[in-house]
Amino acid sequence: MRMIGPLDANFGWDGARLFDVERAVPAASVPARLRGACAGVHIAEDRARVIRDPLGINKLFWASGEDGELRFAARPWRLVQAGCPFDGIRAVPPGTAIDLNSIATEVRTLRAPQRSVRPGDSLEYIARRIRSTLDLYCAALAAAHPGTPVYVCLSGGLDSSAATVLARRHFADVTAVSFDLDRAGAPPSADRLAAERLAADLGMPLLSVTVTVESVLDGLDTALVEGIDWRDFNVHAALVNVALARGIAEHCAAHHPGTAPLVLTGDLANEYVCDYKAEQYRGETYYSLPRLAPAALQWVLIRGVETSHREVGPFQAYGLPLVQVYAPAVDHYLALPEDFLAEPARKDRLCQLMFGDLLPDYIYGRPKTRAQVGDAETGRGVLGACVDNGIDRAWLRQRFSQLHGVSDPSLLDRFIRAGRYRSSVPTPGEKR
Amino acid sequence: MSSQQVADQIEQFVRSRFRVAKGDTRFSRAQPLFEMGYVDSIGFVELLAFLNEQFHVEVPDDVLMSEEFSTIDDIALIVARLSNGRSEVRNGSTG
Repeated sequence: MRMIGPLDANFGWDGARLFDVERAVPAASVPARLRGACAGVHIAEDRARVIRDPLGINKLFWASGEDGELRFAARPWRLVQAGCPFDGIRAVPPGTAIDLNSIATEVRTLRAPQRSVRPGDSLEYIARRIRSTLDLYCAALAAAHPGTPVYVCLSGGLDSSAATVLARRHFADVTAVSFDLDRAGAPPSADRLAAERLAADLGMPLLSVTVTVESVLDGLDTALVEGIDWRDFNVHAALVNVALARGIAEHCAAHHPGTAPLVLTGDLANEYVCDYKAEQYRGETYYSLPRLAPAALQWVLIRGVETSHREVGPFQAYGLPLVQVYAPAVDHYLALPEDFLAEPARKDRLCQLMFGDLLPDYIYGRPKTRAQVGDAETGRGVLGACVDNGIDRAWLRQRFSQLHGVSDPSLLDRFIRAGRYRSSVPTPGEKR
Repeated sequence: MSSQQVADQIEQFVRSRFRVAKGDTRFSRAQPLFEMGYVDSIGFVELLAFLNEQFHVEVPDDVLMSEEFSTIDDIALIVARLSNGRSEVRNGSTG
């Protein structure tokens, strides 16, 4: 058994404290309710413990070598480079703790989040539970990383603004980071202006990452291999994150040389409250969603977190551990009633209850924009930048295939399906 | 429920949700839905939600990726198996 390359940084949460994946040695107990990003491989002589969080936030893949050796890696391309054909690569099933030795495999299933609405729970109560979980998690992170410089990705939208406020309250040295696309001297985006205003109001430094289209597109290969996905929505998001990661890494090297910072984001909140919609660009529809009732859609979006590493992957590629601060609160969001999930202003309402006056009025009620989309009419976003440069869905599939040694792109359809990677429990001694 | 009955309902769902033309002679229960382009990746998720809602089955991840989860007839067999397996477990536990 062999691990190829590093694992992603672990920020697992057992409901009360951070879970140290280093303690996940063979036969050790596992938390009853593991949340947050966590994947580990602990190899001790001929035994191993393999663990992956139930949401599948951290990625972990395996393949058998020609000699039957089990090889693990956090990215499929590392296994491909180690001589494993892409078609033989499987994900470790999310939500499993697996003990392996040369002859046997023992699998423990970790409790997965499920939709569970309790009629007596008011929205105010759920909002308090979410806020409490976020505060506990951030406080634990701050205690575990004293003196660590923190960067928080601030788009200017509700979720990242809330993450910024949380970071400001719990960490000492925080820099907000804002992305914008530089297009022929056009004025800054509305998102950039909102980020500048919030950072100023909070008395925080703001790192402005303003990049050209060419610079963004330079990150395509990184977005594909580190994001472990070819689907346009996720690649476009990963491209923004590659640009942010590059900017943060440069800033950190200049201002905190030799120090590994933490990067915080407000990701996952969109999945939790189904805050996505299809987009139009030059007459074509992008980012379509399944036509499902709100509760079913919420479940599909949360389940789909397992596939794509568009957030963690690009930052990890630049040596930046990424924390998704909303990750441990998934169970509370799954308690939101369906009629609430159907409300147009649901996120504003929930954030009002969670954060109240901590967020200024100009953040509440802002029209939602995405860095991927920017201004849909002028193409002032990554979506437009890609489409205008011929980087369409077929191109992305083709390039992902090339980067992973796949000659027939149709094979990709059996690698990701319905928001899941092809997965199975590693089997010792199985020769390729 | 027999796999034939399940197939009837799946076919009805696929035809209406994915707008299969009435005169489409290529379409049949034996054709692979995904490879033939009748159902895309988003549609796949909708199909799974339909199976869950209609037949109360959760298709395991390894089955989702397998070649046997491809045609309406194959999918119906899997759903019937999952559904009947659940009834057997329920009958066994109460009987």
